[in-house]
Amino acid sequence: MVQGEARNQATQLRRGLLELCVLAVLRRGESYAFDIVRVLSEAGELLTSEGTIYPLLARLREQRLASTTWRESASGPPRRYYRLTDAGRRALVDLSGDWMRFRDAVDALVAGSEEATRAD
Amino acid sequence: MQTDTLISDYLKHLEEAAARLPARRRLELVDEVREHIEAAIAARGDPSEAEIRNILERLGRPEEIVAAEAETDAALPAMGGEPAKRSRFGLVEVAALMLVTIGAFALPVIGPAAGIGLTWISSAWSPRQKALVTGLAILFVVLPIVMLMNVSSGPLHIESSIGPVQP
Repeated sequence: MVQGEARNQATQLRRGLLELCVLAVLRRGESYAFDIVRVLSEAGELLTSEGTIYPLLARLREQRLASTTWRESASGPPRRYYRLTDAGRRALVDLSGDWMRFRDAVDALVAGSEEATRAD
Repeated sequence: MQTDTLISDYLKHLEEAAARLPARRRLELVDEVREHIEAAIAARGDPSEAEIRNILERLGRPEEIVAAEAETDAALPAMGGEPAKRSRFGLVEVAALMLVTIGAFALPVIGPAAGIGLTWISSAWSPRQKALVTGLAILFVVLPIVMLMNVSSGPLHIESSIGPVQP
């Protein structure tokens, strides 16, 4: 049970961070899923399994954080383009605030433990 | 031809792994992944078999993709996601119980009223438990009133007994 909870929290953390990253990519402008994946891969090891972006995008659509439009593409079938809604923009502000506070707290703790190690 | 088989096998595997998902979402997900593969192929021109394998590897195992789907809110109720949404017994619940019980004596009416408010914003209690605590709160509202009535009838007796002595 405890193990399940820890796993659940790790999942929540990863999910929240990935959501923040996708919203940040969408702030740059309208993009389609494959482009979002490309940006995330180029930024670093943010997406270990590229396919998991689709469940996340489905959730953003469902929560109306992103809206979509189908566009004809030069090569192949029409593509679904994603853009941030106003709610998506607000979620991005909230999540980046959460992330910065979280990051600062972790940084402070890690720096503190390094000092303690040096003092020993 | 070998590469076509690789792709169709992958998509078939995904469809099977996604059997638990609602039919509409399952079809949509398979379409999305198929389009992803097509876009990756288009981006590379004429990919070799090794490159196709790489595209599929990067996508991740179908089970992994479906598991991410199960993490989304829509899929949670179907997969027993209630524990994930309901948080643990915490500060709100402790405060609610204290306001309802001790609070009824320390702050008659206001204490239990605040307790009831906290009870209903709690995310740890089920509606039935909330109703139970509310019932408890009402009991503890009535109790001090009854006690106050006893107390207020007390001084009256004293007054009347003291009365005749005064002049």
